[in-house]
Amino acid sequence: MGKIILDKMAMQRALTRITYEIVEKNKGVEDLVLIGIKTRGIFLANRIADRLQQLENVTIPVGELDITNYRDDIEHDSMSIDVKMSNNKIDFSIEGKRVILVDDVLYTGRTVRAALSAVMDLGRPKSINLAVLVDRGHRELPIRADFVGKNIPSSQKEQIKVYVSEIDDKDAVELIK
Amino acid sequence: MAIDINKVLLLGGGPTSIGHENELDAAAFERLIALRKTGAQIIYVDDNPFSVTSEEIQPANVYVQQVNFKNVVNIIEKEQPDAIMATTGGLNAMQIAWQLSESGVLSANNVTLLGIKPADLRKVIDNQKLRDLLTEISEKVIASKIVADDSEAMDFVREVGFPVIVKPISASHDTSRFICNNTDELEDALDVSFKRTYIKRCSIEQSIVGYKEIEMVGVRDTNGNKMLITGLEDMDPIGIHSGDSIIFAPTQTLINEEYQALRTATFRIMDALNVTGTCHVQFAQSRTDSNYFVTKVSPFFTRNTLLAAKATGYPLTYVSSFLELGYTFTEIKLPTKYSKYLPFMEPTMDHVLVRIPLWPFRDINDVDQHLNTLMKSVGSTIGIGRTVEEAIIKSMHSSQFSPRDILPSVSKVDDDDVINQLIHPLASRILILMEALRRGFSVDELSELTRIDRFYFYKLNQLLRAQDYVINNPMSPHSVQVGHKYGFGDGMLAELWNVNISEITRMNRNTKQPVTYKEIEPSAGEFIEATNIFYSSYELENESQPFSGKTALVIGRGGNQLGPNSAADYYTTQILTSLKKAGYKTIIMNTNPNAVSLTPQLSDKQYIEPIQLGNILNIINVDQPDVVFLPGNRHYLSKQLKQFTGLNVVVLPPDQKVAVYKEQEATAAVDLFIQDDEIIPVTTLSFFNHNNRLDLHHINDYQEPMSHWETDEQPLIKQAISSVDPTEWQGLVQVLFDQSGSEYTCTGIRPVRITETAFLTKTTGVNWINVLVRKYLGLLDMESLREQLRPAEHKRYSIMTAKFPFKELQSNRQEGTTKQEVGASLSFKNFE
Amino acid sequence: MTQRYLILEDGSAYPGKAFGSLATTTGELVANSTMNGYQEIISNQIYHNQIIVFTQSSIGNTGLDQNAYESILPSAKGVIVREYENLATDHFKRISLDRYLKQHKIPGIYDVDTREIRHRLQKYGNMKASIVDVADDHAFDQLHATVLTNQQVAQVATPKPYPNPDEGDNVVVVDFGLKSGILRELSRRNCNVTVVPWNASSEMILDLDPDGIVLSTGPGAPSNLPQSVLKMIEEVQSQAPLFAIGLGHELFALANDASVYQLRVEHHGANHPIREIITNEIFYSGQEQGYAVDPKSIDHAKLFITHIDLVNGTVQGLRHRDFPAFSVQFSPDGAPGPKDSVGLFDDFTEIMERRRVDNGNRY
Repeated sequence: MGKIILDKMAMQRALTRITYEIVEKNKGVEDLVLIGIKTRGIFLANRIADRLQQLENVTIPVGELDITNYRDDIEHDSMSIDVKMSNNKIDFSIEGKRVILVDDVLYTGRTVRAALSAVMDLGRPKSINLAVLVDRGHRELPIRADFVGKNIPSSQKEQIKVYVSEIDDKDAVELIK
Repeated sequence: MAIDINKVLLLGGGPTSIGHENELDAAAFERLIALRKTGAQIIYVDDNPFSVTSEEIQPANVYVQQVNFKNVVNIIEKEQPDAIMATTGGLNAMQIAWQLSESGVLSANNVTLLGIKPADLRKVIDNQKLRDLLTEISEKVIASKIVADDSEAMDFVREVGFPVIVKPISASHDTSRFICNNTDELEDALDVSFKRTYIKRCSIEQSIVGYKEIEMVGVRDTNGNKMLITGLEDMDPIGIHSGDSIIFAPTQTLINEEYQALRTATFRIMDALNVTGTCHVQFAQSRTDSNYFVTKVSPFFTRNTLLAAKATGYPLTYVSSFLELGYTFTEIKLPTKYSKYLPFMEPTMDHVLVRIPLWPFRDINDVDQHLNTLMKSVGSTIGIGRTVEEAIIKSMHSSQFSPRDILPSVSKVDDDDVINQLIHPLASRILILMEALRRGFSVDELSELTRIDRFYFYKLNQLLRAQDYVINNPMSPHSVQVGHKYGFGDGMLAELWNVNISEITRMNRNTKQPVTYKEIEPSAGEFIEATNIFYSSYELENESQPFSGKTALVIGRGGNQLGPNSAADYYTTQILTSLKKAGYKTIIMNTNPNAVSLTPQLSDKQYIEPIQLGNILNIINVDQPDVVFLPGNRHYLSKQLKQFTGLNVVVLPPDQKVAVYKEQEATAAVDLFIQDDEIIPVTTLSFFNHNNRLDLHHINDYQEPMSHWETDEQPLIKQAISSVDPTEWQGLVQVLFDQSGSEYTCTGIRPVRITETAFLTKTTGVNWINVLVRKYLGLLDMESLREQLRPAEHKRYSIMTAKFPFKELQSNRQEGTTKQEVGASLSFKNFE
Repeated sequence: MTQRYLILEDGSAYPGKAFGSLATTTGELVANSTMNGYQEIISNQIYHNQIIVFTQSSIGNTGLDQNAYESILPSAKGVIVREYENLATDHFKRISLDRYLKQHKIPGIYDVDTREIRHRLQKYGNMKASIVDVADDHAFDQLHATVLTNQQVAQVATPKPYPNPDEGDNVVVVDFGLKSGILRELSRRNCNVTVVPWNASSEMILDLDPDGIVLSTGPGAPSNLPQSVLKMIEEVQSQAPLFAIGLGHELFALANDASVYQLRVEHHGANHPIREIITNEIFYSGQEQGYAVDPKSIDHAKLFITHIDLVNGTVQGLRHRDFPAFSVQFSPDGAPGPKDSVGLFDDFTEIMERRRVDNGNRY
């Protein structure tokens, strides 16, 4: 059975802190766009956008990125893939924007690498930052997050599971042994 | 965001029994008032004949049926409600809600369960799932294990430590539990238990006997905002059912750190269950360190949820109804008498509430009367004061059986018995504690024997000292001052000093020690809340002001015992409603926290005060009521009140002492209403019981009408009318008959009793309590009554069946007397 | 029992029974409606120069607990309660409320109508009061003539720095009348704490190489403190994560050009909902405040308002836009009061940890 590392309250606080840090680092919210990485990253991106709305009374665009087709560690039939036809929902231009990529867990870094490629395919943002709820270590690529909710050192045998109430009926981060 | 609901099905609490009195009906009633604000249509199901809620709803929307799965499914299929509310129907209703969801009835009919989602409800209904959930959120539950041999048991003990409780599984006698404090005791217990189990398995669990029992009541909205209503502390340790415990609000012996830990745990549990509305969590708190266990989670209205609301004055039921509908705290609008902040201000108290249970052993005495993990009480009374002692005395005062204004004691018990009862408590628990102190037991000794916190013994000791002082210094102003501080009312002082109460009243006036009334409101004086709920103290500021215009005081019944108590409470509510309709400002005094008659919406002012002469006179003195209504059979009190010639006292129904019996048997009756010299038949009744015993005190089941009216009964009605003399009999009168063959003989005449008046009100289409109130106020419109009363148009039989608490008390009795009734159920049957 | 009096600036006199010390004292009368933690309340230095009226009718029921003192030498001027219980629960059954108050020369009065006093304060606002033996003209003259000191922080804060060692983050706590609850929460998070006096310079603080800085709670008006304190805050807030509480919060606001005003009625309780603006959630916390930050004075280019009190609309939390510096008016340590917001200490340690990781990455 899983052990809860972050409960609902802690998860909310982590997102709140990340939101403040985003404003702090970007000296405001000008040109900011959020891109959530499927699946839970999207919900987290939306929650950060809600917070920015409460705080600054601005609506920050939130895009959805499905990077399944970009993962270099997942084999697929390259003939059948059309990058532009993937499940992304980014109906705004990222040209010259400050992009914040949002994901639930940062692990090997391969997801983020794929996300970076996907974003680059869409245009030339001014900057790309990475926000993650959990950084569990074991990086295989030189990637680091700019905003981290919680560092959870974990062994590779362990599993980190993030639940979001939008689809999971609860908010929690669990460590499963 | 609020859920849009046009039609909602509300599940009722069913007949009164051990475990619940009228509090669920009171909650449903308040909920009804709240739901009406939303414009939703409300469907209600309940077979409690004394339900005030069903009285308030259009008959077409009330299903008088047993609240069970089958009936509720039928109602859902027929009515197609948008939502179902089960949280005011007790555990039974929650279980039905769960069944409805499991069986797919909810989804098939597109019905939303309010308050808690079905998936979360399952975690509460299924004990193992609840344990899993609590473990997952790092809340501690009592460790337990099924073991097949001694070594497994030892492994368990090595992990959790002593003491443990061992129980055989599937045993020949299911009550044997062994508390083991060391290895020797454990080995013995396992030895015996393994011999008794048929399946070679025993259960072993951590023992928390002797821990403090603390209860927390919280509320939560759909956005996850949470608030604590209050904590409650059971004076008695774990081992005595919380329903049989003396309870204090707020908690008395927890330090801040402990209290806050339990508050936080309550919130985490509410979050984990996604509760919208109220949740009651029970804890076992260690006496020696900060450890605690979660023992029970109830995300619905319980007796103590409502006690917490009563203690703080927070309109919990009202607010919670909106929370269940998806409103957030800040979206809820309360009636204007409250400050607009009230829904989201966490209650804080500046008084103390004590609840003392009442047990039915006077009426049912052939059962095990020890207080243990099985709940046995049938009612309770509360006392509220500014000091702990004051609250204790007031609730003790109210919980005694004697109507006299005295403090009970148990001085005749011998020393061995005192010790025995300290360890194995009986219903006289608190009296024994006081007696032990009186006999010189030390506080530490008592605390060790009873596992009750030393604090309570200090308080009881102070009470004894105050009592001694008062007894030894009769009629001194300082003595009165001491008495008042510790909660001794003027009536009690009069009894102690054997003088007439008026002498004490006169002394108070001379020494300027008038009673003051303090408001029970949840902000501790920060805001003017105008809850109009008061208790007495003897201080500087009086907050209760008399009403201008006609005022009526209704004296409530006090704590429930067996007998016609639920009916009397219903009766009281109807008196209040009738008085209000007749243009009176109404005042109720009562001590029963579960009474519907204390619902804030039913009267203009409520006093939570002992129902004793001194307290009544004090209220009369402040409020100057034009009329005082005394419902129920209270000879002693009515006699006492009637000696005050200035008072206009109405006793309803008239004292049963005026009844005349030729024989103590009857099989049928004709009920009549008599106004001046006009006699009109109300209905006929058949009495029956299971063993064909016809004596009056065994008549508990009624059928109305007796037969098809008109045809068979006309001669009987004529006989009844001719047997009463309107100069002797007024109001609702019952003429009793005994049948032998086709012959009916008149066996007696009596005023219609409370239970049957309630029954007639539910079945004849006329609110007889209203009629009686108007009659005594001189406002009765006979023409309209004649118009309303159409017995000949009845198309069905109404049947009221008494309920007895024998099973809960583990008694072998089958049949009971009217004095042993705990409640009743109502049903209908069409004429053949 | 000795009869003594509580007399108020408005001329009212309340006879009651004495407990604790028999000293004659004068202070501001404040009502506290928290339901638990009388010990934490009495020993909190914010009650320096104040007489506390407990609205909860009965205190002392739990005895005193060695782990629940908020300071070693309490400086409240009096305790007014309806009823008190003199229970001792320490190992030697020695320390009861009465003994504790005697030791610290704090007078107490019980058997008075505290609910009436609460109503009076709500109606007429803050006022001075004295605890005296006789309620005569002389006593009232004395009361009116007494000028309470404005050097409160200097009187209660530590004059010298001291350490509270552990193995975690280096935290410098600036003591304005520190309550132990703050240290307890930092200890629970293994912070290596150095407590420095209220008038410590920014150099001294930064030379201690803090991972984070805490500005503590304390008594009195923030305007009683010299400009140098505000300058210190201005200088340190950009250098290390900063967490300010109570008086510290008021000073943090002043250092960032906001202004502070006095409340008509001091608010001491745990019953007001506090809204966190960013999540729109409400929670409860112990609040003990006589002053509040004026929301109109806040420069939104510098500060966010993070929390507000939903009942009286006061600012309950601020955060700097450019630095990880934040402050709250209430007491998140929950000593006494709800622990709903104790997570703010986790935020603080998380911020410190993040900064350390980031700094490490820069090497």
